[in-house]
Amino acid sequence: MHKLKINLEVNGRKINKEVNSHYRLLDFLREDLDLTGSKEGCGAGECGTCSVFVDGKLVKSCLMPVAKASGKKIETIEHQGTPDNLSTLQKAFYLTGASQCGFCIPGMVMAATSTLRNNPDANIEEIKEEMGGNICRCTGYQKIFDAVELARDVISGKLDPKLLEQYSKPKDSYLGANVKRIDAPSKVTGRLKYAADMKMPNMLHMQVFRSTRPHAKIKKLDLTKAKQVPGVETIVTCDDVPGIDNFGVFIEDQPVLARDKVRYVGEAIAAVAADTLEAAKEAISKIEIEYEDLPALFDSEEALKDKILIHEHYKTNLVKHIPIRKGNVEEGFAKADLIVEEKFSTQAVEHAYLEPMAGVGYVDSDGTLVIVSPSQNITHHRHMMAKIMNLPIHKVRFIMSPVGGGFGGKEDMIYQGMLALCAMKTRLPVKYVMTREEDIISTAKRHPSRTTYKIGLTKEGKITAVQIKMIADGGAYGCSTEGVMRKAAILGAGPYRIDNLQMDTMGVYTNNTPSGAFRSFGALQTEFATESILDICAEKLKMDPFELRRKNMFVAGDLTHTKQKLNSASIGTVLNELETLANWEKGAPNSRGQIRKDLNSNDNRESCFLGARLNDKSRLSGGVK
Amino acid sequence: MSLTKKRGRGMAAAWYGIARTAAMDQAGAWAEIDDGGTAKVLTGVTEIGEGILTVLAQVAADELGIKPEQVTIGDNDTSRSPEAAHAGATRQTYMIGNAVAMACRDAKDRLFSEIAKEWNVEKEILQAHDGEIWANGTNYKMPMSDAVKICKKKYGVVPVGSGNYTSHHTGLDPVDGSGRPWQAYVFGGQVAEVEVDTATGEVQILGIWACHDVGKAINPKGVEGQIEGGVVQAVGQALMEDYQQVEGHTTTGSFAKYILPTSLDVPKVTSKIVEDPDPLSPLGAKGIGEPAMVPTAPAIMNAIYDAIGVRIQSLPATPEKILRALDEKKRKSNGKSIN
Repeated sequence: MHKLKINLEVNGRKINKEVNSHYRLLDFLREDLDLTGSKEGCGAGECGTCSVFVDGKLVKSCLMPVAKASGKKIETIEHQGTPDNLSTLQKAFYLTGASQCGFCIPGMVMAATSTLRNNPDANIEEIKEEMGGNICRCTGYQKIFDAVELARDVISGKLDPKLLEQYSKPKDSYLGANVKRIDAPSKVTGRLKYAADMKMPNMLHMQVFRSTRPHAKIKKLDLTKAKQVPGVETIVTCDDVPGIDNFGVFIEDQPVLARDKVRYVGEAIAAVAADTLEAAKEAISKIEIEYEDLPALFDSEEALKDKILIHEHYKTNLVKHIPIRKGNVEEGFAKADLIVEEKFSTQAVEHAYLEPMAGVGYVDSDGTLVIVSPSQNITHHRHMMAKIMNLPIHKVRFIMSPVGGGFGGKEDMIYQGMLALCAMKTRLPVKYVMTREEDIISTAKRHPSRTTYKIGLTKEGKITAVQIKMIADGGAYGCSTEGVMRKAAILGAGPYRIDNLQMDTMGVYTNNTPSGAFRSFGALQTEFATESILDICAEKLKMDPFELRRKNMFVAGDLTHTKQKLNSASIGTVLNELETLANWEKGAPNSRGQIRKDLNSNDNRESCFLGARLNDKSRLSGGVK
Repeated sequence: MSLTKKRGRGMAAAWYGIARTAAMDQAGAWAEIDDGGTAKVLTGVTEIGEGILTVLAQVAADELGIKPEQVTIGDNDTSRSPEAAHAGATRQTYMIGNAVAMACRDAKDRLFSEIAKEWNVEKEILQAHDGEIWANGTNYKMPMSDAVKICKKKYGVVPVGSGNYTSHHTGLDPVDGSGRPWQAYVFGGQVAEVEVDTATGEVQILGIWACHDVGKAINPKGVEGQIEGGVVQAVGQALMEDYQQVEGHTTTGSFAKYILPTSLDVPKVTSKIVEDPDPLSPLGAKGIGEPAMVPTAPAIMNAIYDAIGVRIQSLPATPEKILRALDEKKRKSNGKSIN
């Protein structure tokens, strides 16, 4: 490996060191200095989790070769404050509740610090634009903006710094109190260690060889040259699995590493563990494979015809069909004055948690296999792992590391099996961190869906019958498809009393990236269709959309679509409160946007225009404060 | 405002079930009132960002009569803490919150039994809050730290407890789907205000008004944070996020191609929490994580229709789709005028 000497200052410390010449500044900070507060969210300068100061300027350290940092002054999140001595901005983040998973937060604090250093009077539009290069997937940004505005006013002297320490102690109970988040100090200072921040003695690095074909037989897999790469400790394939090789949240249909065939582009085929990341990557590039392409399926409706099978032994591509039947839809439609039929569709969506998949596996002194990872379901993962590794269940230990955003995406045990195989084979700790690209192509998405919808109503707006059919693309493996179909079916027709209902949801296998658990789990797809079609019906009935919903909403004592008696149903209260909160102007949804009176209240943000920062005259003339 | 920029509003409602669907759900926890009047709580869960550790610290503090900052919460570990199952399904506050409450009640009962002996009073009149324990109607009062010391050193009892919470759900009938998939339901609704540029097809979401029943809100600011975050994820789903593949190959494999909402895309969110407490559980709390984002996308599509008279039924509503729909609308109305 090429080395070069650099001289630089990091957080006030002078450093004179030989470094890997291919390192980026981020690698140097994280690997050589253990300054893990700067995170790698994308490695391409898009997300801002690695933001640091270089000679006082905000820089994405994943884009800067370490050689370029020589002679510079670097400042990282670790220099901004400690949990017991937070900076003003960090205190503001703590107070407003601006950190959730915390993975973007060190970068956010750096960007916010830069914003206020450059422009101490920054208004909200300028703050938003200055911070536009930092992505947060959890908070919706609002509490981050609140924090920056608060810190700005404290720093400028407009507000008393004591405000930052404020804490209204509840009198009788802590339930219902806005207790400040107990994990926030560790997050705003970058001190909290996520899985990718872990290091253990003699730790190996794992890399994964992945399919480049959507559907193909593996004719030959040649590891000879890869094994010869210096530093390689082991290469594992499906042949190394000692137990029953399958996993999945609902249906256990996925092998740890592809067995005989691949079913999607990005599927893991082999994993290399080596003493350096570089050696592991080199070995991956030396693995040779021969495929025999098979006809592939990319369309869910085509897949339902079963002309091509993705999992031959199931004899069908249908993963799960959930039917719900209530009353008689024909009779219901016969009573309707208005019948509306429409089609809806939703797309595949990436979780985009800012923390890419990562984990460490090792074997404990008593022979227990330990996996540390941001898994959202260690209980089930332990069960599956014991079966896969052929170990007694108590000899498998799962530790859930702080999760840098999950949203359902970290419920699948997609890489922990490979870590286990490498750790058991080498008896050394093994670490794996996915790149953003690897994470996007290989992990589950939100189910894309197509829904056909038929609804009947009386002219008074009472629903007489609903018929819904949703087909969802589950991709190559079952993951959470069964559960997603179930929730989509149970909730899909909405919080409305419907005496005659026919609901069918179907999830199917294709050769696309698998679909899995994602926040709102199927209900988002079907309820989108319901709430859209009700708007269409309200227009046709010349009825206010709140009114139409009130005519049909559940009340206590009603039976749900699955014939469960509801003891209470707050939808009436919710609709009343919402109408008041939004100051809603009553009327049918007939495109009256241009004449309605309830628009433009102060509860809206300003319409966005680019160049807010340029309003600052001092910046126009090139002056930096 | 430019002539091509049109505003409009739309609304949508939603409902959701709390905890695992159509299957029994359970969670366990252990608690110990520790030296110095602090507490250790062990349960198989850690933070995924929603604020669960803070909620559990509040629950433990409230039940034990100490301060939230005096609670140490054990991290999720299948070999060192009781099973709390998974971190998802909007179940953390409901399942694990109640399990922790019950574990703390058990530990407190152990402590109170010994302190009642010490003071020679009925256990039932004891109460604790914010680090102090006292006997109602008497002058007996002492710091929790002393109470723990007495409990251990004088009576030889470590005040530990365990708790389990079960949510009784049944599977669905395979023919008609009937069943009891959840015992607690939440309801919500949102109004969206949008501005659509008919020249570029760009949609800006300026405001969201969100009203959600969450049961008892343990930490209202945390609930708000979940609503704001959920709304913005749904804004991504509604307008820009689109995972694309060509013949199985991903074409949106980076954040340069897979577009996420940034600080410039997000609406101002005004939230209102409705509390319809769950009668079946000790805390009365339900949940908010997933339901927060269900009504957003339809409310936005309904608002776009209000603004410009075109309805997008295929998500996301990209500028290209908006322009195509406007062209189509124009073509149709031209056709009509010719006829």
